[in-house]
Amino acid sequence: MLTVKQIDVYIGRKQIIKQVSFQVKPGEIVGLVGPNGAGKTTIMKTILGLTKFNGKITVNQQAITENHHAPLAKVGALIEHPAIYPFLTGLQNLQLYSQDPTDMRQLVTLLQMDAYINTKAKGYSLGMKQKLGIAIALLNQPDLVILDEPMNGLDVEATISIRKIIKQYAERGTAFLISSHVLSELQKVMTQVILINHGSMIVNQNVAAFNQRAQKQYQLNTVANAATTKLLQAHQLTFSKTKTGFLVPREEIFAIQDLLAAQQIHLKMLAPVQLNFEQIIVDLLERQRGREHEKTLS
Amino acid sequence: MAASLYQEFYKLAHRKVIWIAPIILLGLMVLAGYTVGYGESKLLTALSYDSHDWIMFILVIVGATFFSMEFQNNAILTLLYKASSKLYVYLSKLIVLLVYNLFLHGLALILTVVLRWLPLNKPVAWTTLYQYHQPLWENMLKASALDLITTTLVISIIFLLSCLINNNAVVVSVTFLLIFMGQFLSSSILLAGNLFSLNLLPLVKWNPFNMLNLTAQYVNYITYHATSHLETGQLLNGALLYAIGFFILGYLVFRKKRF
Repeated sequence: MLTVKQIDVYIGRKQIIKQVSFQVKPGEIVGLVGPNGAGKTTIMKTILGLTKFNGKITVNQQAITENHHAPLAKVGALIEHPAIYPFLTGLQNLQLYSQDPTDMRQLVTLLQMDAYINTKAKGYSLGMKQKLGIAIALLNQPDLVILDEPMNGLDVEATISIRKIIKQYAERGTAFLISSHVLSELQKVMTQVILINHGSMIVNQNVAAFNQRAQKQYQLNTVANAATTKLLQAHQLTFSKTKTGFLVPREEIFAIQDLLAAQQIHLKMLAPVQLNFEQIIVDLLERQRGREHEKTLS
Repeated sequence: MAASLYQEFYKLAHRKVIWIAPIILLGLMVLAGYTVGYGESKLLTALSYDSHDWIMFILVIVGATFFSMEFQNNAILTLLYKASSKLYVYLSKLIVLLVYNLFLHGLALILTVVLRWLPLNKPVAWTTLYQYHQPLWENMLKASALDLITTTLVISIIFLLSCLINNNAVVVSVTFLLIFMGQFLSSSILLAGNLFSLNLLPLVKWNPFNMLNLTAQYVNYITYHATSHLETGQLLNGALLYAIGFFILGYLVFRKKRF
């Protein structure tokens, strides 16, 4: 469906995206996750042929360039803000892009917009505009849908409804690439996770494998944390620092205990931690920052 | 391209200003009929009741928002990715505004025919000889056709500015300022050039704002030729070349723009 191969994006001389590669297959819901400014929206814009890039992007085996968007005929998107003309009604905004009136009507009902779809969009609330933006992205039975922060401004009911619709479309074979700051929401729908930071891809895994990271860590706290850091570094053991101590991989806890005992550093705590999705992301980002910091020092 | 054209026509047809503008045009043409003078029927007919100036106003107001509307409504990204290429987006906007320009000129001609029935001015026959020893109806049609070229040049300037500036109000203000001040500056420089016998005249007379005198010079050759220092044919060719140049330049800016 979508193949992104070693893309680099520059704004001026600054490299915004560095060698990012991934695939989105039919029916997959891929979550694009990362901190502000990581490059999520830029990746989405690049896929839509809105920025210059090096590398290769194909949709259904057809290459996309900045000036060749023909392969995007079956792609829907909501990027940054919903594209809505205030002087048109909601329905007229949809009619602008719709190729199938039946599909358009069904979408209006599915997204529960019947009550206000015939009123001018200038009076719409943030949530109503967001729903309309999602409806525009879902028009004409797309093969691929790109949604940038789709849950922005939506209330709980609307969020649940959008989640259901995304799953429903994915079951029919539509592929999704979604970015969201509400990680818990994304977690409920996505099948694949891509973690981006500073324009580089850190993780690209299916959700089941990604979640296994949650049981793989132990929390470690000793009477001498500074000495422990040096010891772990000296023996090139994997760890990340927390506010009170360290997070260490399960498979290394025996080796760590032996080392600490040899140095007569007493344990204060060694306990398994069950990380939630957000914590795993934060942990991964902290580890990457640590690696980058070490690189800078060396 | 067909989809982009459909979208542009759809948006145009649903904007209130598009339908209010012809009513304002009619009002201003009636006002011109009253104010220019009862005995100036031939001039009023040839100038389509001064509709050419008002059409330029309308085009600046409508045209200046053609691109900025997309930026302000966050629609530019959707518009671009849904189109096969950036060129189609630019061309479809251009075609739609040129068609609207054609519609306004056609409407002005029809309104001129209607207004001649009203007792605004002294009745004059269509076949009365006026400028260039041609009948009045021919003067009117030729002035209108030439004004289509003048307003196309105005549209090209609007497009170039719209691609450079994202804000609605700023584009409208700058376009008004540039077109009307530009015309004023151009004629001032040309007159000054003549006055002080500076050698700049052969160069300055080819400035794009001088080409905006095309319609006026056709209807009032003696007065305007003294300012423009160019023949009507030269103004016509200049207006066409500048319009094409500005359209290409506008597209290059649009293509390079980051969204």
